[in-house]
Amino acid sequence: MTAKRKANIIIRHIVLAFLAFIWLVPVVWLIVTSLSTVKGVSGKHFFPEHWTLANYNQLFFQTDTAANFPAWFKNTFIVAIFTCIISSVFVLMVSYAFSCMRFKGRKQLMSFSIILGMFPGVLSMIAVYFVLKMLGLTDSLVGLIFVYSAGSGLGFLILKGFFDTIPASLREAARLEGASEATIFTRIIIPLSKPMIVYTVINSFLGPWMDFVMARIMIKSKDSADWTVAIGLYNLLQKTLVGDYFSVFCAGGVMIAIPISILFVVMQKFYVEGVTGGAVKG
Amino acid sequence: MKKMLNAFKKYFADFGTAVAKGDIWCKLSLLVMGAGYWGRKQIVKGIIMTVLEVVVLLFTGLFSINYIKDLGTLGTVQYEAKFDPLTMKNTVNDYDNSLLILLYGIVGIIVIVAFILLYISNMKAVYRLQLMKENGEHINSFREDLKELINGKFYVTLLTLPSIGVILMNIVPILFMSCVAFTNYDIDHMPPNYLFTWTGLSNFKNMFTGGATITFSYAFIRILAWTMIWAVTATFTTFIGGILLAKLINHQNTYFKKVWRALFVVTIAIPQFVTLLLVSKMFSDHGIVNTWCSNLGLTSFLRDAGVISGNFIPFLSKPGWSHVMIILINIWVGVPYQMLTATGILMNIPTDQLESARIDGANKWQIFWKITMPYILFICGPSLIQSVIANINNFNVIYLLTSGTATANMAFANSNAKETDLLITWLFTLTNDNSNYKMASVIGIISFVICALLTLLSYSRMIKGDKEEVYQ
Amino acid sequence: MKKKVLSVLLVASMVASMTACGSSKNNEGTTANTDTKTEETAQTESTASADDAIANLIAATDGTVDITLWCSELEAYQNVMKDLTEKFKQQYSDVDFNINIGAVSEADAKDKILEDIDAAADVFVFADDQVNDLVNAGALQEVATTYTYDPTKTNSFATVEAASKDGKLYAYPLTASNGYFLYYDSSIFSDEDVASWEALTAKAEEAGKKVGCDIANGWYLYGFFAGAGCELTMNEDNSNNCDWNNATGLAVAKSIENITSSPAFVSVADADAIPMLQDGDLAAYVSGTWNTASFEEQYGDGYAACKLPTFDVDGTATQMGSYAGYKFVGVNSHAKNAGWSMLLAEYLTNEESQLAIGQATSEGPANTEAAKQIDSPALAALAAQSEFADQQVVGNQFWDPAKALGQNLVDGASDLQAVLDDAVSGITQPVAE
Repeated sequence: MTAKRKANIIIRHIVLAFLAFIWLVPVVWLIVTSLSTVKGVSGKHFFPEHWTLANYNQLFFQTDTAANFPAWFKNTFIVAIFTCIISSVFVLMVSYAFSCMRFKGRKQLMSFSIILGMFPGVLSMIAVYFVLKMLGLTDSLVGLIFVYSAGSGLGFLILKGFFDTIPASLREAARLEGASEATIFTRIIIPLSKPMIVYTVINSFLGPWMDFVMARIMIKSKDSADWTVAIGLYNLLQKTLVGDYFSVFCAGGVMIAIPISILFVVMQKFYVEGVTGGAVKG
Repeated sequence: MKKMLNAFKKYFADFGTAVAKGDIWCKLSLLVMGAGYWGRKQIVKGIIMTVLEVVVLLFTGLFSINYIKDLGTLGTVQYEAKFDPLTMKNTVNDYDNSLLILLYGIVGIIVIVAFILLYISNMKAVYRLQLMKENGEHINSFREDLKELINGKFYVTLLTLPSIGVILMNIVPILFMSCVAFTNYDIDHMPPNYLFTWTGLSNFKNMFTGGATITFSYAFIRILAWTMIWAVTATFTTFIGGILLAKLINHQNTYFKKVWRALFVVTIAIPQFVTLLLVSKMFSDHGIVNTWCSNLGLTSFLRDAGVISGNFIPFLSKPGWSHVMIILINIWVGVPYQMLTATGILMNIPTDQLESARIDGANKWQIFWKITMPYILFICGPSLIQSVIANINNFNVIYLLTSGTATANMAFANSNAKETDLLITWLFTLTNDNSNYKMASVIGIISFVICALLTLLSYSRMIKGDKEEVYQ
Repeated sequence: MKKKVLSVLLVASMVASMTACGSSKNNEGTTANTDTKTEETAQTESTASADDAIANLIAATDGTVDITLWCSELEAYQNVMKDLTEKFKQQYSDVDFNINIGAVSEADAKDKILEDIDAAADVFVFADDQVNDLVNAGALQEVATTYTYDPTKTNSFATVEAASKDGKLYAYPLTASNGYFLYYDSSIFSDEDVASWEALTAKAEEAGKKVGCDIANGWYLYGFFAGAGCELTMNEDNSNNCDWNNATGLAVAKSIENITSSPAFVSVADADAIPMLQDGDLAAYVSGTWNTASFEEQYGDGYAACKLPTFDVDGTATQMGSYAGYKFVGVNSHAKNAGWSMLLAEYLTNEESQLAIGQATSEGPANTEAAKQIDSPALAALAAQSEFADQQVVGNQFWDPAKALGQNLVDGASDLQAVLDDAVSGITQPVAE
């Protein structure tokens, strides 16, 4: 190993360590604040003066009208599971239809869908609320699942790009052996696209955990047991509560981050392939 | 264009032929949609069609027609309630609700349009059946029809449910909000107690020319400019940052690649609204970062240098400062994502090109800028434009970081905006805090048009489909 | 083809769900394990002569009566409301109630209600600044008739006045303590120090502490201009009249800039002020009863409150004015059970309930009798401020320009006349058609 290479390695790792430090400062702050005895935000101390697990205890076992984490977690989990199933299925179906089948008006429909996806969701929020109300689905988990998954078919681009890279000869061969389109879809294409599917599933699973704008409009109930994690945690930061609940908020943030981090680290390989799958080859 | 017109003509001509040349069963189908199928022994299909027809007629006749007929005025009877102190109940008149008229009217019209299309194709299908019968061709049984749905017509099966979802979640709301831009729906015209009505283009006029609200055009121009600057800067900074980081991590000289990557990925795992709120607390005027800066003497240094006037650094509360901070924080938020993407792309770079460049004596930077970057740009072009669009509509970063700050610019304040607002956060403030739906809809339409144009630009290649066949 | 078929089917199911969607779900709210702070006040001597109307109502009611009640998200509030609704149920034990209590800050009530009046609570607590908008939107049931007591007689005149518009009463007064005053640490500041902003900031500089007021907020900013006699009123059409850009206004603005230029002065909103307080930096702050607990805890023995300080206008010490704040209980004009909702609102605002709420939340009752029985430094400070406090009557166009004006003053803008002119033209701009 030459001296030059050694120096390169050292510099490289110092830079990485420095960057990692910057990236982790807020994360560390989140964690240490969640262990603080001070309930509010501290502008003076990064690390708490006294440490405690009380915030986690409060989060899980001492629910009150402002913070009901177990209920939020349960609600969000249910919504996330159904959302990720429904929207993954939708995305798969639309992608297959657009990529592997040929029918009249396909390209027009595709352009139309892509443009449709450009409309800012924040604006149509009010109208979406009244559509939900028309369907009688406001204030319910079913309504939230509907909101998160109904329009998901528009997110077909990446997966379609990936399907485009699967050689048509594969499908031809299967067709010659008498397989129907449905069989080709379920037996050949889906198994071939596992990384992409994992990517789609992860993304749609994460949505409900992160969204507070839509959910706050759709869930009109002010009973904290009806909320999702995002509505609930966001609510803890309103000005009358933040002084008493900031550290609980941080604890809640940590509690969502842990399962998701594990998910990410385990699925990293799939995710990397997925995120680039459409772009690289298509 | 001409092609479309011809297709359009043919569409109705076919319908005419079907009606004119159809036999008795076909003609009967004009009234009872299933009749044509019954005549060819397709009993189940006929029943489905007829039931559908009845359902649509009932829906329209009993429900949506009440709203559609009022679409022209959006209602005329205002809510009135009279309280009876003896029974302690409110007697309410039969009032119009403009919002429901508009919404249900749109739904009703969509149903009618869909029904007309269905009706026309039904006639054609029935006529086709007649021809097939006359020619002695095989006519599908119901079972065979079902089979077709998982084979040749599989796309119908695949697209039905997602399309219904999109109609309800996207098309109806978009039509609704686009219509609102042409009404006076605001705090003084709030259903159910008050009516709103059509006002033509006056909202657009106000937006672009001053008008009654004095400064909307002032704020609009500036917010639009910042939105575009933000979208481009945010996209490119995170993009380049992500590639550099990926290069750094994936280099042969780097050990523990997985660990490094995981460290950055952890920041993705915390929901964005949590990290952003946290960061906004850290950088607030009296937050922890300001405490550090004043302990380090940075604050007093900057004050002596005349850069700041107060005894804190206004990271997020003064324009200029906040613009820069927002972009920096966005780098923090966005780079780990881009790092993941770039990792994947870098793995797939064709190595032969790199090899030959190396043999030609190019150094690392030359290779990076001359080969790697062009390659990445080529691959990521469309997705870059996609993320520019995503950033135009990037609500979270801007709103969560700056919603608590005040503007000192009166002209912005008069139109409920501030310097760091994007179109999307501005319209959120307008609807959420000021119930000014009409102006918010105008802004929404404008940003939609911008995004749609960008999309057309970037995807025209893809939509034309010249690439999708390459690998197949 | 099949696609269209299905979309029409969906429409059919929509019709079904529209006709079939009956009562929404009303699950029992999981409420906190309340360590019941029951007030050992005298047991209700249930109103001896139940009105005919109430008897009628009870007779006409069958099945469960669902009522949603929104009140402050603070735990003390939630608990006391829970107790009170239980007592309400006991009082009308013939009827089966399902009362659902939701947490909505009084300050946000209007925004949440106007999102969809139909889906909002039947009975809600809100702050007085929202009366105008709520009445304009038609969200409030007029209090035309009362059954168990007369709110116009038992509550202080000012609260009744503020709950009325055009001579009609629209809400039941609940508390009279939603205004602002000065919290301070008496171990640092003497009585003379807190008498004027100039003395206050000087002393704070000396002690190395901060004093604060949210200047970049029209609600507080109003106090300075109103104190000096400047005008801000609302017209019929909800637009404003404002003369803050006259000579007096200019002097006020100069005085504010003088105060904010002190290194000890911070213009911070509650969300930032409380952390500063908890870090031990903030020794005096203009705020209201909603923050009492935090200040009490932090200042300990030094905890004190007083009326707002004076400030120097062209050499004369001028008393700062303020907005008087009240909280009301309103009944949704679209409430499904108007009668029961009104009775509940009446129950929550009668003397006894107001007393219970006052004791639980350190707020001052609107009821004059109940108010006499509750005393605290914060309420005394409010009482002292009350003669300088005005009822809040202002159109929506005020807030954003006023906020920007405040921000300019905090920043130390140099061309004050221009800033004031701009602000006034923004505040007084006509309301769009």
